[in-house]
Amino acid sequence: MKFKILKALDVAGLQVFDPVVRLVCGENPKEQLRKILLFIGVPIVTFLVFLGLWSYMAPRHTTKAGEVPTPGVVLDAADGIWTFHVRENQKAQDFLLDGGNRESELASVEARIMELEPLAAAAREQMETLESESKAKIDEQVGPLQAEYKELRTKSREDGKTREAALIAEADSLPVGNAAAREAFLTKVAEHAEKSAADKEAMRDFKAKIEAAYTEKFPELEKVRGEYNTYEEELQYLSKRLDYLTGDNQSLKISDQELKLDELQAAFLGAEGGKATLKAAEKVVKQKEAINRIADSEYSRPWTFPRQIARSVWCVFVGFFIGSAIAIPLGVLCGLSRVIMAALTPLIALFKPVSPIVWLPIVFIIVGGFISDPEKAVVHPAFLSSAITVALCSLWPTLVNTALGVASVEKDHVNVARVLRLGFFSRLFKIVLPSALPLIFAGLRISLGVGWMVLIAAELLSSSEGIGKFVWDMFNNGSSQTFAQMFVVVFVVGAVGLLLDRIMIVLQRSVSFDGAPTAI
Amino acid sequence: MPFLEMENVSVGFGPEGTRTEVLHDVNLTVEENEFIAIVGFSGSGKSTLVSLLSGLLNPDKGEVRLKGKKVTKPGPHLGIVFQNYSLLPWLSVYGNIELAVNQVFTDFSRAQRKEHIERYIEMVSLTPARDKKPSELSGGMRQRVSLARTLSMQPEVMLMDEPLSALDALTRANLQDELIRIWEEDKRTVVLITNDVDEAVLLADRIVPLTMGPKATLADDFEVTLPRPRDRTTLNTDQRFKKLRNEIIHFMTSMNKEAKMLRVDQGLAMPDIKPVDFTAA
Repeated sequence: MKFKILKALDVAGLQVFDPVVRLVCGENPKEQLRKILLFIGVPIVTFLVFLGLWSYMAPRHTTKAGEVPTPGVVLDAADGIWTFHVRENQKAQDFLLDGGNRESELASVEARIMELEPLAAAAREQMETLESESKAKIDEQVGPLQAEYKELRTKSREDGKTREAALIAEADSLPVGNAAAREAFLTKVAEHAEKSAADKEAMRDFKAKIEAAYTEKFPELEKVRGEYNTYEEELQYLSKRLDYLTGDNQSLKISDQELKLDELQAAFLGAEGGKATLKAAEKVVKQKEAINRIADSEYSRPWTFPRQIARSVWCVFVGFFIGSAIAIPLGVLCGLSRVIMAALTPLIALFKPVSPIVWLPIVFIIVGGFISDPEKAVVHPAFLSSAITVALCSLWPTLVNTALGVASVEKDHVNVARVLRLGFFSRLFKIVLPSALPLIFAGLRISLGVGWMVLIAAELLSSSEGIGKFVWDMFNNGSSQTFAQMFVVVFVVGAVGLLLDRIMIVLQRSVSFDGAPTAI
Repeated sequence: MPFLEMENVSVGFGPEGTRTEVLHDVNLTVEENEFIAIVGFSGSGKSTLVSLLSGLLNPDKGEVRLKGKKVTKPGPHLGIVFQNYSLLPWLSVYGNIELAVNQVFTDFSRAQRKEHIERYIEMVSLTPARDKKPSELSGGMRQRVSLARTLSMQPEVMLMDEPLSALDALTRANLQDELIRIWEEDKRTVVLITNDVDEAVLLADRIVPLTMGPKATLADDFEVTLPRPRDRTTLNTDQRFKKLRNEIIHFMTSMNKEAKMLRVDQGLAMPDIKPVDFTAA
């Protein structure tokens, strides 16, 4: 059992947890604890230091979208994203519920509303009292400040006027043509301007003080306000659910329409006279169509973040698959034949460094040429363009590695093939490919990593649904909440990328006869 | 007519101008079911000789013939046991042999093939390791697999290129005994290349020394008249064995000395002067 777990950890590239398993099995605890401290403790400490630095530095920079979010805010944002997803799923489910299930759900929703409403009302009351209190506090602070400010303003105006009057009086008596006297006057005018500017500066400072008093935060009020908002949001969500469980519910709508249909059918059966019968018949047909439409209708779910993640992962695999389907055969050909290698080397060298940002618009237009109506297409052109861009950018490592692997089959193995007189295909499938497999998979692993990075950029540009589009939407929204959600994306993209890499490691190690020492 | 022969074979490597001839004017005849050993120092062109015999390499001059027909390309009838085993690391013991058997005995049924493969695994005493990968085997076991793979093709000639030189002394002795047993069981023409004179005397019917390279060639051969089956324990005290071994070793080392002397001759020419004692006057 123990060795099975250890073996599994080894294959998955999770040797970090090796000492934990050994410790649980009671193997040399002192040594294992030392290893745990080193391989698990130290990384955790590093991460905590990182979080600490982040929390310290983030609030010190204010942007258009508010302060840079701290880890706590980002965690809240992640929670918000998840809640939104769960609620949307619930609504979609509610839309389809029927019979007893619907009724029981309805009862529980109503019960919850009953429970929440007084809480929300209480929170609101508390919020209002706190608001008025804080307003009073602010007024208390601001009142005298403002009075002082007014005084200051009138004083500076009066001073300015008196100075001006004095200057005019002096100018009246200035002798014409006396350069020295006029020069002295100029200095006086400059002094007057300087004084006015200084007054203005002082007033501006004072105003900033008043504004600062207005923006003073009251943590208690913020807390209550947050609580109230949560209640309100949930209530809003519940009222939506109520809609989907009652008036907007699919089964209810259908049964409503069916009642009408029954009436119409009865009318049709009893109808007399050509015109009237035709009309009644038409009504029945129309009603049936309407019922079918409702039955086919779906709850229009928005693209919540988890759905966009799934879409991105799907897209990267489609692109990766297209890329590999091109790269592996081409790589094998390059490795087998020097002529093909020589022929393709310039193309590979030329296209390999091209950025996804350049490929995407070109691919987008070309794909658009094939798919004229995006709404009716089986695959959305934006999705296809993103996948093809991923393929174009990620196929190179696989191509180069496959060529290298195929070209560098051991001479001894080639000799074995010669002695056995293996034909082209048995040589390819029994000697060349198995021996190149570890390198091919090493290439595939790099390709998938590259593809994942490229995809986010491609989605952002092509606005194909996915993580990239989510980031773009959040960026355009520009509120402090969406700013925090962009930070959530950073971690999600990282985690998914890590997971993909781990999957490739397991694959690489399972096909490698040499145990793939480099695959860690 | 000899079974396998080399006639005036020469081969060299390198570009025109600086080409070094590795083997020069080599002549060899091997009778059917004869076990001959070619002994030589390292670097004297032993592996090149195997490549020539197996058809992996074509001579510049002369011909290699099997049953009177010129050998131009390798094939399963010229089985090779490589010095470094050359097993495919992604296949099990069974799989490695199966690859060869499937290629050679295309008319066998599935059951026949399985039986055939298992017989040869049994012959090299590897039945318990049947499904192991080469990386899980010791050096000696790997060489046994390689041996079984070559034997399973039932080649007309078996060429062994220093099959035991990468092994430790104990494993080596063990495998030598095994080789004797297998050859007695399954007699066929064998050319064994080795650098171990004892091994050659123990196993072969005839021993052919290879002179020092470059331009190496085969020297006069030594018949081994020791009766079979041979047993290493009694052989050690056998006077004929000792005599033959010493002869060959003497021949080889003298060749080595000769080669060294030749090299010294090419060195600095010393002035022909004598010291003179002036004090006597």
